[in-house]
Amino acid sequence: MLELKNIKLSYGSTQVLNGVDLSVKRGDVVSIIGPSGTGKTTLLKCINSLARPSSGTIAFDDVRMDYQKLDRTAIQAIRLRTAMVFQQFNVFKNMTVLQNVMDPLVVVQRKSKEEARRIALEELDRVGLSNKIDSYPSQLSGGQLQRTGIARALAVKPDVMLFDEPTSSLDPELVGEVLKVIRDVTSSGITSLLVTHEMQFARNISNRIVFMDRGVVAADGSPAEIFEASSNPRLTQFLTTEHSIQ
Amino acid sequence: MDLSIMIPELLSALPLTLAITFTAMIAGFLLALVTTTFRVRRIPVVSQFADFYVSYARSVPVVLQLFVAFYGLPLVVALLDVEDFVSPNVAAMVGLSLYHGGYLSEVLRPAYLAVERGQHDAADSLGYSFLQKLVRVVGPQAVHIALPGYGNAIIYLIHNVALVMYIGAADVMATAHLVMERDYNQYQFETYLVLAVIYSLLCLVAWSIVRFFEKRNARFAPNTARAKATVMPSV
Ligand SMILES: Nc1ncnc2c1ncn2[C@@H]1O[C@H](COP(=O)(O)OP(=O)(O)O)[C@@H](O)[C@H]1O
Ligand SMILES: [Mg+2]
Repeated sequence: MLELKNIKLSYGSTQVLNGVDLSVKRGDVVSIIGPSGTGKTTLLKCINSLARPSSGTIAFDDVRMDYQKLDRTAIQAIRLRTAMVFQQFNVFKNMTVLQNVMDPLVVVQRKSKEEARRIALEELDRVGLSNKIDSYPSQLSGGQLQRTGIARALAVKPDVMLFDEPTSSLDPELVGEVLKVIRDVTSSGITSLLVTHEMQFARNISNRIVFMDRGVVAADGSPAEIFEASSNPRLTQFLTTEHSIQ
Repeated sequence: MDLSIMIPELLSALPLTLAITFTAMIAGFLLALVTTTFRVRRIPVVSQFADFYVSYARSVPVVLQLFVAFYGLPLVVALLDVEDFVSPNVAAMVGLSLYHGGYLSEVLRPAYLAVERGQHDAADSLGYSFLQKLVRVVGPQAVHIALPGYGNAIIYLIHNVALVMYIGAADVMATAHLVMERDYNQYQFETYLVLAVIYSLLCLVAWSIVRFFEKRNARFAPNTARAKATVMPSV
């Protein structure tokens, strides 16, 4: 359903993405792992055009786009079918939890207030925030902020969820509550791309693991292939380092 | 000298002072919005023009800006081939709107830029248009950040309205001079003192309104709220 081909992107003189190919099938839960600074976040941002590659193509179901041409219709179409969960949460600071989840439904999807509210309450219940709907972001913990971010993403009923290190900015004791929600989301069958350093978690929830290294996909396979049968020395080294950190 | 006569005389010109202030406040604000939008979106040519306008409004003494408006406006009006009389009051409104708009843009622009990149990313990723993002997310946060600076801008505007007498507008300041001259300049100190009180009250009202909005929005601005709460008493 989603196919990225030969994505190249550089910031100034540093080449960040060096010809990335990635294809995702409906229902896939793909975890993207790899050292910091290899372009994992950037790759996710290319999908919804928060970052703009210098070349490459994307096919999202029937929407096709060549990044060399600015195609606002295609960009918007893809943005409407994906939803992103950010490392820094990026919950709208001027809105309550409920407003955060409702606003895109009312403003972008032009749903009625009542319907938006109904959907928002449903998703907030799903992430366990029913008792915080009128709180402002400044009054919430990191875990609650991230669950708000997840509810906001789910509420737009995306075809693909994009998670960018959703637990990396959390205090260790708050990681569990967010992982639990993500596990619940991915097991519901929604296609997901997850950038993470939680190796055990990635292994448990994914049917595919992509190892990114220095701006390219360096390994791609089932969790067993990646974690046990890898012959890629960079991957082995990365896994050893990650393992010793955890 | 009879204050009960002098004060009403001065206050009779207050409506004009207020009219000029409010016009400049509203027109200046709209002008600042447009100018700031051009500047942050870096639209070629238009944004350079906006930058130039802002540096004019910020660097040329306000009294000079008023003269420029007073003598320049008739030329513009003549070009447009309409009514060729420009009253001092209109020139004052136009001059101060331009001044205030440019000044305010220098308050709004940094406030806009201070809104975190992530707030833009979230709105963009959800499909908000630039305008929707501005109205729903970035604008309210930028306005909150801008409020203290906005309070200052309003106070400077009120102060600068006192300069319109130089181009012949009959505001409270100009009226005060008429009153003083009529009284053979016997009561200058008293008159200026009354003027000072009038301007102080105007600024106090403006300041209170800005404060009200600052407090009302404090809950979604943890940084400012916290910064204020943790200010250490100076020893
Ligand atoms: N907006 C930006 N401007 C300049 N450089 C950037 C920007 N965003 C990311 N980079 C650089 O691109 C590289 C890849 O970043 P990123 O995609 O965040 O990596 P990862 O998510 O894998 O840690 C890093 O070297 C980073 O410093
Ligand atoms: Mg990253």
